[in-house]
Amino acid sequence: MSLTDHSESQASLATERAKLDDEAFDRLFRESAADVHGYAISLLGDRTAAEDVTALAFERLYRSRSRLDHRRGTPRAWLFAIARNAALDELRRRRRQPQSELPQELSGDQDSEAALEQIARRAAVRDALSALPPREREVVLLKFHGQLSNSELAKALDVSESNAGTRLHRALTRLREECDELNREEIA
Amino acid sequence: MKVIPFPGASGTGPEENWLAELEAALSGTGQGPRADSWLQLRDDVRALAPPMDPEFERELGQRIAERSARSVPKRPHRRLGWLRPTAPAFAAVPVALAVIAAVLIAAPWRPANHAAGPSTRSSSTSARANQLGPAFGQAENAPVAGAIHAAKSAAPAPSASASAGAATNAPLVVSGAAAPGRVQQLGASISLSATPSEVQTVADRVSRLAVSDGGFVQSSHVNETEKAGEATLTLSLPSTKLNAALAALGQIAPVHAENQSLQDITNTYNAARQRLNDATAERQALLRALAKATAEGQIDSLRERISQNRGAIARAKSAFQTVSQQASTAEVEVTVLGDKSPGSEGLTLHRGLHDAGRVLTVTLIVLLIAAAVLVPLTLLIAALITARRMWRSYRRERILDAP
Repeated sequence: MSLTDHSESQASLATERAKLDDEAFDRLFRESAADVHGYAISLLGDRTAAEDVTALAFERLYRSRSRLDHRRGTPRAWLFAIARNAALDELRRRRRQPQSELPQELSGDQDSEAALEQIARRAAVRDALSALPPREREVVLLKFHGQLSNSELAKALDVSESNAGTRLHRALTRLREECDELNREEIA
Repeated sequence: MKVIPFPGASGTGPEENWLAELEAALSGTGQGPRADSWLQLRDDVRALAPPMDPEFERELGQRIAERSARSVPKRPHRRLGWLRPTAPAFAAVPVALAVIAAVLIAAPWRPANHAAGPSTRSSSTSARANQLGPAFGQAENAPVAGAIHAAKSAAPAPSASASAGAATNAPLVVSGAAAPGRVQQLGASISLSATPSEVQTVADRVSRLAVSDGGFVQSSHVNETEKAGEATLTLSLPSTKLNAALAALGQIAPVHAENQSLQDITNTYNAARQRLNDATAERQALLRALAKATAEGQIDSLRERISQNRGAIARAKSAFQTVSQQASTAEVEVTVLGDKSPGSEGLTLHRGLHDAGRVLTVTLIVLLIAAAVLVPLTLLIAALITARRMWRSYRRERILDAP
């Protein structure tokens, strides 16, 4: 699904916030399952655990769909808040840190220059992301995988909107700095 | 390699502007290289995550579809639904409380004298008669012989004829509140409210009540006009039935005022009995002396004294019977006041307002008591729930701060 399509569907979901009927739930699953899984596997670094968290998030959302309150954000924001809690619970159960080792293999058509450039850039992003503190890395993953607005991000993090904005600003600034540093090293 | 600088590299502006620019870029409304770099960064981050296993995606989708197919529309919060009253339920609770309070306050089985507005009660003697209610009840059920026995114990035994006379006029001996063996005279006055047209009817019912209770009407005076009326009745009732009679009078018409009196006449009773005993003993002595007398003059003198003694016995017996009568009967003065606005039977505006005020007062008290219990309890539970949530959240977040 393209990101533009997702934005449109998210807007349509936002209009039916009050209730999440079965049809809307199915649509949300089709549109968000990959993103939830991507967020979970990026945070946990474990495919099995990520699948558990993904299934658990949809299970919990389905059970609590009648309590969905439009004042608490869109169904997608609620889904990612549930997924985040489930992922952190999973980490706590395992007594381990969020996974900082992202997959080393980056796929792409290595014959074209653009593809090579993309692979190099993504390697830099991966390394920069791995270098971030766990809390900042988690904010970046939640923002980009969840594609949440700042207010939705705040609700998912259970903090104020200004606090969420500050965290996001700090995390992305550091990510940018890390990437710039890596790029400069590569150029040098 | 082409390096695209990240936005804001030349210095970040205010945080809000920075976030707004990020939002615009990620939502697709932003333009320019900075917006493109944000989109590219997002795509790069998302691309780092391995794709979902198609088998898992298929299985999860199947489970979701099956669950959706099985699901039936449920009422929200089914398990705790009863804890979440709907709006009508919220309105029904105070209404139900008000109805209960109204029923309790203005219940039809409540004695009428309580329903009357400006009702008063008083006791005119040193002993509060209305505090002796249970004692009256005990006396009412007590065997008369027991009362006589108690009276006998306080005085020398009279002659057989005197005892017979005393038995027919058995005095009320109040126990419990008064010392055993005391003889007391009871009295009461009661004022009833009625409409002018009902004065005669109420007076008749009062008279019938007196007769049915074993008493009688000593006097009756009824004055009835179109605008007002008044009836005054003096009843003589058995003392043992005074309390029941007053209650029954309260059922006939609303009680405007009530007064009960009690007077201890034990000394008077004992003195009368003693005089009767003495006179009887004197007669027996005179008769014995007459039987032994031989002289004519002595016999004539004894006969004259016996004749005088007969009169003394009659007077003593009469006095004793009078005192006994005072103890065994109670005098009740009943006044029936006829008024255009008696606040009597039926619902009047004044009575309705009075009862409504009481209902509201009781309702407020009930709500206040309930609030006194529920508010601290709710606050405590809310605090515990909040603390539990904060603790869980803290434990979750702590994993992100671990070294």
